Amino acid sequence: MTIRILVVDDHPVVRHGLRTLLGGHPEWEIIDEAEDGLDAVAKAGRLNPDVVVLDITMPKMSGLEACRLIRKAMPKCEVLMVTQHDSPQMMREALEAGARGYVVKSNAARDLLRAVERVSQHLPFTALNGQSVDTDVGR
Amino acid sequence: MKLRLLIADDHEVVRRGLCQLLQGHDGWEICGEATDGREAVEKAAQLKPDVVILDVGMPNLNGLAATRQLTQRDPRCKVIVLTITDSDQVIREALDAGARGFVLKSDAARDLVSAVEALQRNRMFFTPRVNDMVLAGFLDKGHSGSSTEPPRLPKLTAREREVIQLLAEGKSSKEVACVLNLSTKTAETHRSNIMRKLGFHSIRDLVVYAVKNNIIQVQAPVQLHNSTEGSAA
Repeated sequence: MTIRILVVDDHPVVRHGLRTLLGGHPEWEIIDEAEDGLDAVAKAGRLNPDVVVLDITMPKMSGLEACRLIRKAMPKCEVLMVTQHDSPQMMREALEAGARGYVVKSNAARDLLRAVERVSQHLPFTALNGQSVDTDVGR
Repeated sequence: MKLRLLIADDHEVVRRGLCQLLQGHDGWEICGEATDGREAVEKAAQLKPDVVILDVGMPNLNGLAATRQLTQRDPRCKVIVLTITDSDQVIREALDAGARGFVLKSDAARDLVSAVEALQRNRMFFTPRVNDMVLAGFLDKGHSGSSTEPPRLPKLTAREREVIQLLAEGKSSKEVACVLNLSTKTAETHRSNIMRKLGFHSIRDLVVYAVKNNIIQVQAPVQLHNSTEGSAA
């Protein structure tokens, strides 16, 4: 079954990179991109993705707030945070906002595919630097 | 013959994005990638790229210090600096280090191809803000009496800047020595010279200096919505 993914980051070059990393999987489809939290919430509502790959630090609306709104409106849609913040506190905040997964950008090449696989099955995936954990933390 | 590009950024996801952006251009090829400034300098020596694209905020050796080393070794080396900020100081340092292109990361998808094309034609490429600053500096030189220049910082050598970055990243003198292939004694001498020149008494002062002067970059703070200290998620 095709997994439909919305990619959200304020830097187009990062969105290109995420597309490249995710694009190799035959059963995943990048349905659209968004450049800030507001855009993400609007596009998620319109396109109903299975997974939103979401940056945290963005203009207009942060990824945390966007995550809360997306999860509230669409409980079946899973959110995977992909962020520069290699911080347990931020990870906890993201999970409390409703994210199912958390990946640090510097490790995206290592962790992203596994993380999308997990969250698309409604399973958790969290990874800070030096450790990646498939865990039930946060829900 | 193809134009050969070397790309350096510590985030693989950004390197993938940059490669995707540049690979599609006819007549260009990515000849190598590097994950920090030191690796970029080494790979540039091996691969002899036509253009080097360097992120500013990289570990071990930042993009500005790497630019300085590349242009000192080969003044014809064409470097484009990629940065998250176009603050006066970063611009000044990038120009001083010999960068010929200056692109904001947020605008890379729009500007990077144009920047490489400009360098390919032996021209420079700067953001409008850099252009304004260069012009203002040029005009200021015509007014010898009105000196509004900020006070000059103590002159540090390129090696001392490298040592500052490594110390500010938390490395000990021994680890600095190991990274730079020096004796521990030489690394300690660099460290005490730096402290003396800058009038510092603690590593904390040095870290603050490194952050303020963009030798290392720190993550932008995010407003946490609702702190839940002590509670299990």
